[in-house]
Amino acid sequence: MSSLKAYIITRALLVLPTVIILLTLVFFILRILPGDPIAAMVGQKVPPEVLEKMREEAGLNKPILVQYISYLYDIFRGDFGRSMIWGKRPVINEIADRFPATLELTIFAFTISVLLGILTGSIAAFRRGSKLDASMRVYSIVAYTLFIPWFGMLLQMLFGVYMHIFPIGGRIAPGMEPERITGLYVLDSILTFNGEALSSALLHLFLPSLTLGVVLSGAYTRIVRNNLIEVLHQDFITAYRARGIRRSRIAYHAMKNAFIPVITLMGLQFAILLAGAVLTETTFSWPGMGTFLLERIQYRDYTSVQGAIVFYALFVAVISLIVDIIYALLDPRIRY
Amino acid sequence: MTERKTILKLFAIALIAVAIAFSGCAQQEKPKATPTPAEKETPKATPKEVKAIVIGVTDKVTDLDPSNAYDFFTWEVMNNMMGGLMRYKPGTTELEPYLAESYEVQDGGKVYIFKLRKDLKFADGTPLTAQDVVRSIKRVMEINGDPAWLVTDFVENVEAIDDYTVKFTLKKPISYFLALTATPPYFPVHPNYKPNEIDSDQTAGGVGPYKITKWVRDQELILEANPYFFGEKPKTEKIIVRFYSDATTLRLAVEKGDIDIAWRTLTPVDLASLKQNPNLNVLEVPGAYIRYLVLNTVMEPTNEKLVRQAIAAAVDRKDISERVFMGTVEPLYSLIPKGMWSHKPVFADKYGDGNIELAKSLLKQAGYDENNKLKLELWWTPTHYGDTEKDLAQVLKEQFEATGVIEVELKSAEWSTYVDYLRKGAMMVSLLGWYPDYIDPDDYTTPFLRSGSNKWTGSGYSNPQMDEVLDKASVATDEAERTQYYEQAQDILAEDSPIVPLIQGKLFVVAKKDIGGITLDPTMIFRYYLLYWKS
Repeated sequence: MSSLKAYIITRALLVLPTVIILLTLVFFILRILPGDPIAAMVGQKVPPEVLEKMREEAGLNKPILVQYISYLYDIFRGDFGRSMIWGKRPVINEIADRFPATLELTIFAFTISVLLGILTGSIAAFRRGSKLDASMRVYSIVAYTLFIPWFGMLLQMLFGVYMHIFPIGGRIAPGMEPERITGLYVLDSILTFNGEALSSALLHLFLPSLTLGVVLSGAYTRIVRNNLIEVLHQDFITAYRARGIRRSRIAYHAMKNAFIPVITLMGLQFAILLAGAVLTETTFSWPGMGTFLLERIQYRDYTSVQGAIVFYALFVAVISLIVDIIYALLDPRIRY
Repeated sequence: MTERKTILKLFAIALIAVAIAFSGCAQQEKPKATPTPAEKETPKATPKEVKAIVIGVTDKVTDLDPSNAYDFFTWEVMNNMMGGLMRYKPGTTELEPYLAESYEVQDGGKVYIFKLRKDLKFADGTPLTAQDVVRSIKRVMEINGDPAWLVTDFVENVEAIDDYTVKFTLKKPISYFLALTATPPYFPVHPNYKPNEIDSDQTAGGVGPYKITKWVRDQELILEANPYFFGEKPKTEKIIVRFYSDATTLRLAVEKGDIDIAWRTLTPVDLASLKQNPNLNVLEVPGAYIRYLVLNTVMEPTNEKLVRQAIAAAVDRKDISERVFMGTVEPLYSLIPKGMWSHKPVFADKYGDGNIELAKSLLKQAGYDENNKLKLELWWTPTHYGDTEKDLAQVLKEQFEATGVIEVELKSAEWSTYVDYLRKGAMMVSLLGWYPDYIDPDDYTTPFLRSGSNKWTGSGYSNPQMDEVLDKASVATDEAERTQYYEQAQDILAEDSPIVPLIQGKLFVVAKKDIGGITLDPTMIFRYYLLYWKS
């Protein structure tokens, strides 16, 4: 077995205890907090004896350890349970409804942030010490400190209300949802050759992904700039220059070497993106996991919150594994 | 210089790519008709295509099954795609037969017999009979979901006498039973609903002016006219409801024209600003939504009646309406809202409004003065009642402290914790709100004031005299007699003050100027089928 394969298996196995620890923490913290989903939903309305019966039916009267063991047992069978509020739908269905929206937003925001970060970072590094460098550094700080709801609202006012170019909320125009294949509207519209849905989905995606993308690009600007400057001073670049190699070729080699820390940051940022999506989703009425989690925590929907967290944990674990593999492929010095 | 050129080239390529990606997207979007799912043969010709009306809300449709849905907005949607044996006449709080042709009350109010209309059909053409009504009600009882108590607490048995006659036998005579039959748990549902299980995503509906043709949870709901509806056809063939996550986005959407109507719920600040917009109409009507303070009658110092009376006297409702809600609410001087029969402004009569002198004197009788101040804990919850809640708590604190004899400590807890504390009676003074289940004075008195039924309020209030009056009112069938009982109950409420009413909500609809047919009343149900384009 190659060392990379062994590494992947070890990493995959490590995901299990990580998820169990996380799940246990979430399970108990949610229950330590006062209040429960039944009371939060109907506590104000139904007669006390009915409320008690509803609690009993939901299994909330059982000892907490019994609840915990039975939940773990279900999770290992792949059963995320049912939501405890409103429609009491299977949690997995709720996640299947919401996650593609977040993933789509995340992918676009991620792409924008990386492109913007690399562009501004490279400009700053190649023009080190110039006014352009200074302005890119200012951009980096400003972008990093932007408050998402404020910046989002600014874009909504500018491009939505005044210029009428982009819609200010939602994922797609009414009635235009493409036939569901993956739940990612852009991909589904392409797969079903639905041009109208594609353009509507892209228009709706633009402002939220730009908001999130700009905010997260600040970190890339800084890291790309610093690494590129460091690489540009290394001996091999001087040697390339001495041999008269084309500058674009030198730039390519410099970028490739400066990119390794950026990849690490990309892995970390992806998890942060998922968190940042909460604010973006609220600002743009984006029906994703962020708004879902926020709402369900407020109503103490235990099963939904637990399910969503486990799902997130698995997702982030997979992403970080992929990042590590890319890392190894980019830098031949790295061995597992 | 070459690096710079390379960067510029890369940047130009990126720009071109973005331009290509969006070039096809720049045209103004219009809502596109969704292909209706295959239907059975429709009886009437399709009317000419009229532009859909798009309504934006910050609410959500939680559950499309009336056996489990228990929130105000979902009930509103159900009222547009289903119906009960009775309904409220649009624009009034008057009940009238709907799916029923007539009804009869027997056995001193213990038995209700409804005769159904003979032309009732579900949205796919399946006829509706008495068996469907019985099946649906028994389904609610069997599933025992969140609102099931509205049936199970009152109904002993329901049976079909023949295809068009339904008989309800109640556990005891209930004077407001007709109002209950106008609520969604009593709405007959299509046979497609799973028999003994909650069917949250079921769109088959019941018998109403509209049917659901598309529902994307938390994104949009598309309603189209039900071709088999027995009543007048909806004035607009298609209604689209879009869901927004907050009031600001909803406001921007109506300003931009993404939606034609902004419905529940905009903030007072947004409403004030939208009133200045020449393209929009802001309409207001009184609502049956109330806000009030709960005073804990078993916790010191609010267990003392004089203290509670002093609090009732110190509250200045007009000030709250102006400062906190910018005039978007009305002062409320009883638990039974203004506009409902038997309403009596007992708190205004007994204490006035912001009556600091009276409050001081009552507190003096209770043994409090500038040197021995009354210390109150006032609880509020940050998200459940919107952005104005913090201001409301702050203004109340100022009003109480204006007496110079009260010192208020503000405390907050988020909603699920708040409800938990409430039920445990752990809060001294707390802010709450109420949307009615059925439009009857009983729904504004018994759950708050009757011993046991009011446990959830955390007030711990119990007065046998009050219980007796409320019990009599709930079984009496004569409205004049019931009015007397409710007036008595309100007098006792003002005297004991376990609950201090604050304000009554108004309803606001922001609509484009060429939309007509907006009919709202204290039932707070927006009837989409009355909406139309003027031009």
